[in-house]
Amino acid sequence: MIYLAWLIPVVPFVSFLCLLWMRKAARSLASWFAVAASAITFGLTLAVFFASFQQGTFTQEWSWLTIGSIDITFGVLLNPLNSLMLLLVSFISFLIHVYSMGYMKGDSRISVYYGYLGLFTSAMLGLVLSPNLLQFYMFWELVGLGSFLLIGFYFYKNSAKQAAKKAFIMTRIGDVGLLIGLILLFWQTNSLRFTDIYTSITAGQVEAGMVTLIAILIFIGAIGKSGQFPLHTWLPDAMEGPTPVSALIHAATMVAAGVYLVAVMYPLYMASAIALTVVACVGAFTAIYAATIGLVQNDIKQVLAYSTISQLGYMMLAMGVLGYTAGVFHLFTHAFFKALLFLAAGSVIHALHTQNIKEMGGLNKKLKVTSFSFLVGALAISGFPLLSGFFSKEEILAAVWADGQYVLFFVALGAAFLTSLYMFRLYFLVFRGEPKKSLDHIQEAPIGMKATMVVLAIFALGIGYVNTPWFGTFLGDWLTEGASFLTGGHHSSPVWIMLAATIVSLGGIALAYYIYEGKKVDQGNWKQSFSGTYRMLSRNYYIDEFYELTFVKGTRGLGMAFHYIEMYVVSGMMDMIQGFFFSIGKTGSKTQNGQTQTYGAVAFLGLVLFMAFYIWKGGY
Amino acid sequence: MDLDTLLSFNWGIMAPEFTILIVGVLLTVIDLFGPTSVKKNIPKLGLVGVILAFILLVPQYGHDQVSILHDTYLFTPFAYYFKFILLIGAMLIFLMILSNESNKEITDRSEYIYLLLSALLGAMMMASSGDLITLFVGLELLSLSSYIMVGLRKKSLRANEGAMKYVINGSIATAFTLFGMSYIYGVSGSTNLVDISREMSASLGTAEPVATIGFIMMFIGLSFKISTVPFHMWTPDVYEGASTPVTAFLSVISKTAGFVIIMNIFFTIFTGNGEANTSLYDSMLLFIAVLAILSMLVGNLIALRQRNMKRMLAYSSIGHAGYMLIPLTSISQLSVENVWFYLFAYSFMTIGAFMVIYLLEQQKKSEDISIFTGLYQTSPVLAVCMTIFLISLAGIPGTAGFIGKFNIFVGAILAEPSLYILAAVMALGTIISYLYYFNILVQMFIRPPQLEGKVSVRVAESIPLIACVAGTIILGIFPFLALNFFQ
Repeated sequence: MIYLAWLIPVVPFVSFLCLLWMRKAARSLASWFAVAASAITFGLTLAVFFASFQQGTFTQEWSWLTIGSIDITFGVLLNPLNSLMLLLVSFISFLIHVYSMGYMKGDSRISVYYGYLGLFTSAMLGLVLSPNLLQFYMFWELVGLGSFLLIGFYFYKNSAKQAAKKAFIMTRIGDVGLLIGLILLFWQTNSLRFTDIYTSITAGQVEAGMVTLIAILIFIGAIGKSGQFPLHTWLPDAMEGPTPVSALIHAATMVAAGVYLVAVMYPLYMASAIALTVVACVGAFTAIYAATIGLVQNDIKQVLAYSTISQLGYMMLAMGVLGYTAGVFHLFTHAFFKALLFLAAGSVIHALHTQNIKEMGGLNKKLKVTSFSFLVGALAISGFPLLSGFFSKEEILAAVWADGQYVLFFVALGAAFLTSLYMFRLYFLVFRGEPKKSLDHIQEAPIGMKATMVVLAIFALGIGYVNTPWFGTFLGDWLTEGASFLTGGHHSSPVWIMLAATIVSLGGIALAYYIYEGKKVDQGNWKQSFSGTYRMLSRNYYIDEFYELTFVKGTRGLGMAFHYIEMYVVSGMMDMIQGFFFSIGKTGSKTQNGQTQTYGAVAFLGLVLFMAFYIWKGGY
Repeated sequence: MDLDTLLSFNWGIMAPEFTILIVGVLLTVIDLFGPTSVKKNIPKLGLVGVILAFILLVPQYGHDQVSILHDTYLFTPFAYYFKFILLIGAMLIFLMILSNESNKEITDRSEYIYLLLSALLGAMMMASSGDLITLFVGLELLSLSSYIMVGLRKKSLRANEGAMKYVINGSIATAFTLFGMSYIYGVSGSTNLVDISREMSASLGTAEPVATIGFIMMFIGLSFKISTVPFHMWTPDVYEGASTPVTAFLSVISKTAGFVIIMNIFFTIFTGNGEANTSLYDSMLLFIAVLAILSMLVGNLIALRQRNMKRMLAYSSIGHAGYMLIPLTSISQLSVENVWFYLFAYSFMTIGAFMVIYLLEQQKKSEDISIFTGLYQTSPVLAVCMTIFLISLAGIPGTAGFIGKFNIFVGAILAEPSLYILAAVMALGTIISYLYYFNILVQMFIRPPQLEGKVSVRVAESIPLIACVAGTIILGIFPFLALNFFQ
């Protein structure tokens, strides 16, 4: 069974090709076809996952190109980390396929939508299975392409077009870092295979300074993909895409690829304390920074987008403080509850046709399943005791404390507080209170959407028990077993950390209740008295404006300058060079006068010249 | 030699050659005495013959070396791999001929078919023989058949001109080759390549200059077949005069056969004895390198000026032959592999490009580059196919042409000593070639249609196109399939 692992990305890719080929004819059947394909993918993944669970690490490689001693390969690699990711991606992708049947119903380009979804799934699965950095990079770019196409799915909306472009460019900036890192790594270790890289790094064959440089360059790639500060601004804009896409790509899978990249290259980071500190600081800063912005957004998807950025920062923080297990664990649980939150938000948008939370309220009476699912998701992400987010967050906090990063610990604690505050602000404003508009015509989502939400809600409730301090740390043990470079496994955390996490989480919820449900604070008044701060937060700390003024304008100016250089200097030179070759060509074709005796003479002359040269050179 | 010795040879290994021979003879007889209903099907029977030969060839993969009649027939892995692409190329050419059976230009269609078969037989003999005499017979069988094929469009002035030029230039080339061979025979006293090799490495002494002159003459004579400098000037006239399937044949099969005989003779003589006899070869390297550089530059530069598509591809084929000479400047398994892969890739992309031209020239009655204007609007599928062939010829990643060029390029850099100049000229030639290849893309995608008439692609025409597109892309994305096959 495990030998069929290579088929996993192939199935959705074939589905993508079929759907695009027959996009007109297959409109009515497109969703069924795509769902069937993703079900097959998921089935295959399950089989492969259990096989790899029993057999341990498995590699299969084919040689793609061999040049001298350099062997460029492609293939599949299965170890605990990536089989976990594999399962996660194909499972969430399957659920999103099912959910989209209801959400995208009636869209005229539904076959294109499912086609792109197939392309993305295929690329993401291929990325996860990569045994070397080159293949990883190719799929990394393909994933970006899938994301680009899906953000711009409503291409007739100008904002969607802009958002797609922005996402592509911002992540490309990161990719350049990754590419340089990749080339440097190849130069230093002569291989791009992960196992070879681990060996040379742990054997200390690469200079310490170089390790740090490569690690940071690769981390820049991760920053772009995972929406970390300062390359995060594309992620909120990416919410222009259809909501199921936001759930799949911009919450559960693709944005987590950055964290995954750090996890895959972990030996590199372990070899460089500076790189680890950079990862931790960027992560912690992003976590609290995005959380503050999330507090004041009025668009339901925007709040969730900032929350995603903040949680990804959390994962990076964990990675940066040697909390490998904690980071991966949080990635795992976050995928479930954040996908759930997006799907519930999608259900609300589907029913109300608005994303503005000021126009919502009191929805829990009408949308019972949605309301319940959202509540579960919100509790999980806030770290409410005994839900999945509680365990993973606690693990991260413990890792930060164990590493002795006390400042970062309090930053993380603050971010946790803000998380539960903005999540419950959202919950109370959307689902509780009085309706702002008449809710008579509002209907709960179709069964397919409800079912996926319930399934995700169950996972959000219980998935944390794969790794708890009380019932055993299965996930952590399994991950550590597969990654020999990890030294310490679970941090035995002080009990007070768990207590602090609980207090912070409950405190946030209570404050949200106090402000938004209990109406104990006059919001208008509050907004006015902190108008400056409020405006700054709601405008995302003016980062977009800052980029517009500096980088975008600067790049445009530079572009103009280059344009003129191009027009007068470069193209002048190009014309000269081209003219030169054309004139040689012209002279050459003149010798081709059509007379066959000339042809013979040229051949004979050639021979005579060679002979003469040979004799002159001293043949005799 | 008695009958027992004769029967003891493993004649079964020659099954592909026998098939081609028997089908060729059979078709001649049918053409002379057969009923008209059967005569109509001669092209199809020819294709069946080639497919049969291919089916018989395939299971010989990994077979031990077989020698029949003192190496006059020699089965080696080398012969196997090149016969493999010769037969695939021949199949594609047959599909191309079959795609347009109503072509009125050629009245003697049956001659066309069995001449193609005899030419193919000649090419296969050049791949699997270890004796100068049989190699020469194979070479002449190919050449004489090709001369007639070029002139088959009897009513066409250009075809007559082309055929005449081809014969005259070919004769000069043959004279060169034969002269060179006679020197080699004079020095070594044998026509057997292995014997020659032994003589060359054993005691050459004062005879070395004579041998070198012999090799240079032989090489220049053979460069006629691969159309490299200085024997390249016939190429555009002949390519233009011949009907397009014949042009494709000359450009692919004849060129492959030319490389095969060069590598067969030189590599056997210089390495056949187990130890590489490099001192002699080293004195030839410079000549080959110079010819490679000149071919790359001349072919690509003059192609810039051509408006007739077949002439343009003729010059570009000179350039491609120049690229393929680069690996010949070092004798190793790697260089055979690189040339083999390049020829394999080249077969698909060149036959594909000629197929598109063939199709358009039938419908638009022109060979000018303007047949491509606005093709994307009139027939998007054809435009996309042509794009794939062109980017492969230009060597853009994702296509077979890229892998072929890449291997040769890296091979030149990794060679001992590094052939930086050759690699640089190759890069330069490739860049120059972008100018004329991409000009066709511009015509297809940007210019509005000029000539009247809708372009339609029939099923019979789409078969060779699909085969060539598939070959170009599969070899471009999964080159290891071919490279693992070649071991």
